[in-house]
Amino acid sequence: MPSDPSAHVWGELADDAVADRIVESALAVADGHSEYADVRLIEAEEMRLYTQVGADPDERLEHSRGIGVRVLVDGAWGFASRPLMDREDAEVAARQALASARASAGVTAPVKLEPMSPASGRYESAVEIDPFTVGADVRQCLLDEVLANVSRSSSVVAAQAGLNAKRQHRHLGNSEGSRQHQHFVETGGGVIATASGHGDVQRRSYPNSFHGNTAGAGWEYVATLDLAAQAVRVGEEAVALLTAPVAPAGRADVVLGPQQVSLQIHESSGHALELDRILGDEANYAGTSFIGVDDIGSLRYGSPAVTITSDPTIPGTRGSFAFDDEGTPARRTRLVDEGIVRATLSNRDAAARSGQELTGAARADGWGYLPVCFATHVYLEPGSGSLDELLDRLGDGVYADDNRSWSIDNRRWNFQFGTEVAYEVRNGKRGRLLKNFSYGGTTPQFWGSVEAVAGPEELRIFGYPCGKGEPKQWGFLSHAAAPVLVRDLRIGVA
Amino acid sequence: MMTVLQQGFASPLTADRALEIADAAVRGSAADAVEVTVLGRTGEYTRFAGDRIHQPQDITEVTAMVKAVVDGHAARASTSDLRSVAETAQRAAGLARELAGAANRPGSVVVAEPAQIPELRLRHDDTVAFDAGRRVALVRRAMDGARARSGQAYGMIGRALTQIAVANSAGVSVEASATEASGSLTVAVDDGTAHWIDLHRSADALGAEGAIDATLDRAVRGRGRIAVPDGEFTVVLGPEAAGELLGFLEAFGFSGDLAAAGVGVCAQNHGDRLVAPTVSVADDALSSYGLPIPFDFEGTAKRRVPFFERGVVGEPVTDLATAAALGTPSTGHAHIAREEVPHPVAANVVMEPGTATEADLIAGVDRGIYVERFWYTRLVDRSASTITGVSRDGCFLIENGRLTQPLATGRFTQSVLGFLATVDGVGDTVRSQPVMNVWNGSASAPALRGHGFRFGSRPLEAGK
Repeated sequence: MPSDPSAHVWGELADDAVADRIVESALAVADGHSEYADVRLIEAEEMRLYTQVGADPDERLEHSRGIGVRVLVDGAWGFASRPLMDREDAEVAARQALASARASAGVTAPVKLEPMSPASGRYESAVEIDPFTVGADVRQCLLDEVLANVSRSSSVVAAQAGLNAKRQHRHLGNSEGSRQHQHFVETGGGVIATASGHGDVQRRSYPNSFHGNTAGAGWEYVATLDLAAQAVRVGEEAVALLTAPVAPAGRADVVLGPQQVSLQIHESSGHALELDRILGDEANYAGTSFIGVDDIGSLRYGSPAVTITSDPTIPGTRGSFAFDDEGTPARRTRLVDEGIVRATLSNRDAAARSGQELTGAARADGWGYLPVCFATHVYLEPGSGSLDELLDRLGDGVYADDNRSWSIDNRRWNFQFGTEVAYEVRNGKRGRLLKNFSYGGTTPQFWGSVEAVAGPEELRIFGYPCGKGEPKQWGFLSHAAAPVLVRDLRIGVA
Repeated sequence: MMTVLQQGFASPLTADRALEIADAAVRGSAADAVEVTVLGRTGEYTRFAGDRIHQPQDITEVTAMVKAVVDGHAARASTSDLRSVAETAQRAAGLARELAGAANRPGSVVVAEPAQIPELRLRHDDTVAFDAGRRVALVRRAMDGARARSGQAYGMIGRALTQIAVANSAGVSVEASATEASGSLTVAVDDGTAHWIDLHRSADALGAEGAIDATLDRAVRGRGRIAVPDGEFTVVLGPEAAGELLGFLEAFGFSGDLAAAGVGVCAQNHGDRLVAPTVSVADDALSSYGLPIPFDFEGTAKRRVPFFERGVVGEPVTDLATAAALGTPSTGHAHIAREEVPHPVAANVVMEPGTATEADLIAGVDRGIYVERFWYTRLVDRSASTITGVSRDGCFLIENGRLTQPLATGRFTQSVLGFLATVDGVGDTVRSQPVMNVWNGSASAPALRGHGFRFGSRPLEAGK
């Protein structure tokens, strides 16, 4: 089905001329008073429809439009943001940003940005069916069916099904001459069942345990999820977990499914490779990294089977874009190459300070917040073979998937993760369902014990929300993974 | 220069203007019932790391959210453009009409009835005076102090004005605006680290200068860390570590949605003594600790909701929907977070202080562990109230009633309610911290002493 161009035509900031006037008025205030300035205008609209067993459906449509202005004055950053309502708001924000920078001047070690050539252009997510044109009856009918299917057993005491869509115009202009307009559309959905009985409470979710799954696409993505059919399985598995044996403790060989591997990538690779964390910018809140600047290019992070790539140019994900949130053009970067750390997720400030390459990973949560280093679309390069072949190679052990608990220390070193489901594996065949599976260790231990990664046919993509910064902002990104075979993993730690 | 929003350090709107916008949208709505919630925040944050103020931020946010009800079915629409609230109300009504048309039965959504709103002291002049110059001076104190000790300081000092206004078709029309001051600091000296965090409606109440100096000294004392030994320990949790545990109470059943589903302690253990009699915790929006606020997103007046009274299980927090399911009045805890189903949320959890100093609590321990801060705590098993996480910053062995060897980060896996059942000492000083993803959310706690706290990553026996 061809892309639907009308999906990109909505809102005041669809009009480049309108956006350009606002950008130029803010830049004009900063001109002559700063050595660098950038202006981001974002207009976003988000639809969320949730239904829960025994409750009325809840639908919301949230719209916002605002401006964020960042300036560099005498080597000190300043930032201000506000909603856009009046012509004057852009100028007010720019003046506030200048004042905020001046308040720090003289206290702070000066920032020196490497100049960048102007980069201008447009980008639009490919959308076959505009999710904002799908009727309420279609959405409601789908969720009613999902809820009915997931809650067939009376042991399912709570169930929730949801659909979401977001569209946003993101304009960026800076004092170097970059002018960009990107329009992103994302759509998603999911279902969660909570079962209670036999003195236990268990949860099962699909297609991702983090608020459903969301892709950089239109309503056509929801059709690929097959939510109604999958809901039957989700409900049945939640109930079956109540009486399943507890997963064993000790050490075991394990195959982790793609969703759990994507979480492992998120927590122990993506965050650990954010250059601002490595340099200490997040030391007070989100933390630092066990990886140091001097390790880049030489640190043995994982086995030769582990290659991790950042590539926002891959379309259709929550981490896809043409320009990051400070205007750096998107690029493919090999972060970990056959187990060796080669590059980081960096922004201009951190790259300039450390002499590391700029990889275009400055991301911001809307117009209100500063760009910081977040993952883009960061994925584990697939190996070869099917999941069944990987289980066959495993022999005896455990297959586990779908995260239910995640904790990692402030250096992204010591972790403990749990999954919603696990299965005993004997002679390469899945057997009994197991509950409360968990595993733990350290990041290099884990990735160093990866023996094999399944092939591209087993690769799955997951969209994630993520948090960082003070005040905390959200990042929206994606990870992809195929199942992995890990030897001698410590299991049953919680 | 005139703009819709106020400029400088002021609430985004005057109280009159916020109510005027909300009331006008209510009057213009064609829905059976309508509720308009205006949320605003003006925040100024001086964030620093090492030798730089690397992220100073002035952030003004405002949104008007309209909930329209048609045939008992509700939909919401919101906008940050306050010039278009009337159109937003029409969109909400249209969505609600579509939902009602697609439904096979009438819905049950209602809006709040007017009620007496509690009078609280929400605005403090000292916070209004807590401008960039004063915040930068505190940052300089932390940076210079760390440098003098051959270390580095990281953190954020901020002030904000938070605003909420609610009007609805039943006659509710209320507004509140509150100051907020916050500070957080990590000092690293060699391998030693120490942390401080606090927030309050009043900037003076933070005692920021003294807190910075004490944090600098603790970081020096924390050098030469050794690994946390595996095992079960008597622990003294500092106020921040204790507050982190309180943030989990809602997940164990102190929220209306879980209680209505029959899950958790309120549904299954109401009136039982589950934790030690030294433990009294409430969601208390009327407390002077944390971030008091008099009503919720639905305009329902807040009240103190006891979670544990001297160890005995109390009630869950509710919104209109979950209160109806439980057959009780709403406690005023309606909340909407991003990417979440609207559900009631505990937003100002406060644990009652005791009479012991932290030194008293430590003095009563022969061998144990002092924990200043937990990090990345996550629920592992709701029914067993088990969480996992790590210790972070300022942790020490306790030997013969004194802090001795500094400890590195260590993993723990522990039942929260199991630990609270062992608490035999409660500190006399309360500190507050923000609760992430909760609008105006905070948890406030004193130091605690308890027993059998399990550190280590050894595998558990099956079923334990």
